[in-house]
Amino acid sequence: MNTTSATEPNIAMVLIARPARLIWLLLRQALWRMPMLIIISLVVFVILRGIPVDPLNMLVPPNASSADIARLSHQLGLDRPVLVQYGYWLLAALHGDFGISIQTGTAVTAMILEALPTTLQLLGAGFAAGLVMGLGSGLLSFHLRGTRFEPAIMTLNGIMIAIPDYLWAIVLIISLGVGLQWLPFVGPIDAALQVRKLTGFTLLDSLLSGNAAAFASVVSHLALPALALGLCVATPIARMLHASLAEVYHEDYIHAARLRGVAEKPLLLRHALRNAALPTIALIGVQASVIIGGTLLIETIFGLPGIGALMLRALGAFDMQTIQALAVVYAITVQIVNLVISWALQRINPRLRSSP
Amino acid sequence: MSIRLPSSLWRRLMRKRSFCLSAGFLLLLALVAVLAPMLAPHAPNDQNLLEVLLPPFWADGGSLDYPLGTDGLGQCVLSRLLYGTRIVVVIAITAPVGAALLGCVLALLGGYHSGWLNWAIDRFVDIWLSFPSVLLALILMVALSPGLQNVILAIIFVDWARFCRVIKAEVLVIRRREYVAAARISGASIYGVIKREVLPGIVPSLIALMALEISIAVVAESVLSFAGMSVGPGTPTWGAMISDGLGSMYSSPYPLLLPVLMMILTVLAATFLGQGLSEATDVRALERSGAA
Repeated sequence: MNTTSATEPNIAMVLIARPARLIWLLLRQALWRMPMLIIISLVVFVILRGIPVDPLNMLVPPNASSADIARLSHQLGLDRPVLVQYGYWLLAALHGDFGISIQTGTAVTAMILEALPTTLQLLGAGFAAGLVMGLGSGLLSFHLRGTRFEPAIMTLNGIMIAIPDYLWAIVLIISLGVGLQWLPFVGPIDAALQVRKLTGFTLLDSLLSGNAAAFASVVSHLALPALALGLCVATPIARMLHASLAEVYHEDYIHAARLRGVAEKPLLLRHALRNAALPTIALIGVQASVIIGGTLLIETIFGLPGIGALMLRALGAFDMQTIQALAVVYAITVQIVNLVISWALQRINPRLRSSP
Repeated sequence: MSIRLPSSLWRRLMRKRSFCLSAGFLLLLALVAVLAPMLAPHAPNDQNLLEVLLPPFWADGGSLDYPLGTDGLGQCVLSRLLYGTRIVVVIAITAPVGAALLGCVLALLGGYHSGWLNWAIDRFVDIWLSFPSVLLALILMVALSPGLQNVILAIIFVDWARFCRVIKAEVLVIRRREYVAAARISGASIYGVIKREVLPGIVPSLIALMALEISIAVVAESVLSFAGMSVGPGTPTWGAMISDGLGSMYSSPYPLLLPVLMMILTVLAATFLGQGLSEATDVRALERSGAA
């Protein structure tokens, strides 16, 4: 490490080069992820053509003649090859038009935009709860290394890591919801309360409208679903963090820092954690698809009106347009989480930055 | 490297208590699945609408007629649990084998074809792993019709990518080993090398992956049947029991608690089985500890 005066960046560098590099990084990442999204949507499109229910039968009245059906089929493009149909769908989707839901007769895009904030809110709360619990228990178990608590925590972690998210949801409902009656577990907010819709995020809306009772109700209704999701985020994080902290502590720079007289606490939190966090953050990226898939059942179990509940209803009703659009939304969500993760990794780990 | 005998593997495994317990539990499950018609006191779909939501025999009002009580339709919970093991066991056996086969074939293809095919397989693995597998399985089950065969197909179609990624990395490492070059020089064909040199090399990872896939596949099936998109309404599954149990949770928690408990025990057993196997077959760890 040099003296600060030699490496001090000039103003132009800070104002222009850094944001430009960040934007270039994000753009490159986004461009690289676009083909993946297109292939996912194509795979889902092809799979959905196999639905045993003919979408035309749901659209035409029972007394329609075969000529009528043929005309409608032509109008909807259903008589053309699958790839051509997909092309039309993609073109419309790129303009934000995902078609009309067979189930409700409304525009799919509007339905999704209505439900999406609930899911994102759950996802955000789940990730936050998971990070806090995971980092906390990982650090704690490492801090207690050598004592009899360490194997106890790790054994508990080994058991908890195996339990899938929807079983956590049910276990939490039975124990904290029905058994102890600490927290509510049905719906997004108390039935008697209402929040004026501003952004769609009920947490934000209740705060913005200054409705303290509604905010408290939203928080308490979000607690159990976020906990169920968070437990699935936390357990692998804790395990990974514990393992990589143990590895990092064998490295020379830790010994050097200790010889310089750095106390145990700043050594762990400032020196070791930064390096040990890298594989942990990368793990979150790998787990992102599992966690986001977990919101599907958690929303259904807790009665949250998010896109997961929408998806399960659409699946039950063979609502192809909605299923197709939601699959893309889920894929985009995973890609965005991965984008953020790779950005965070680059921020924390200078070795990953290719250009000096 | 000395030659490791399978018996040493067994000895290492048997020393681990968690492995023995979990393997025993899973074997018991398989036995129950085979003997379900003899063990179950009632037919799994027999409804007794006069005795709805009975508690288990140890609670007040329970009877030994229905040892674990009845659900909201008056069906015997014990019988349904016993019959539910059949789906669990079938999935636990077929899905890992199928996903391993598909994943290995694609991994070998990619590992030995360093052109566009390798690139394409890598991209597909990336894509598959970046899409929620629960969702892909659900979408597949909508397109296919309900049924055990289709559930197995859907789980294999969703889960091959994990096998492919790990095994391909192994294949690429093994390919560059000197004994593979030696085998090629001494006249073995590519297929001979794959069969005699590469396949034995990937067995440890494959065993560990397949054992972990047991719990993943069992959970996937339970999620599908929880969402009502699995083997169809006539066949009792734990996932469907959990879903039904949620509805009658306030009147009686047992039809919900018991399948949840069985599910958790099974997943734990499968996970510990996988951990035990992957520790016992981890060649690097063994070399470090001097056991190999």
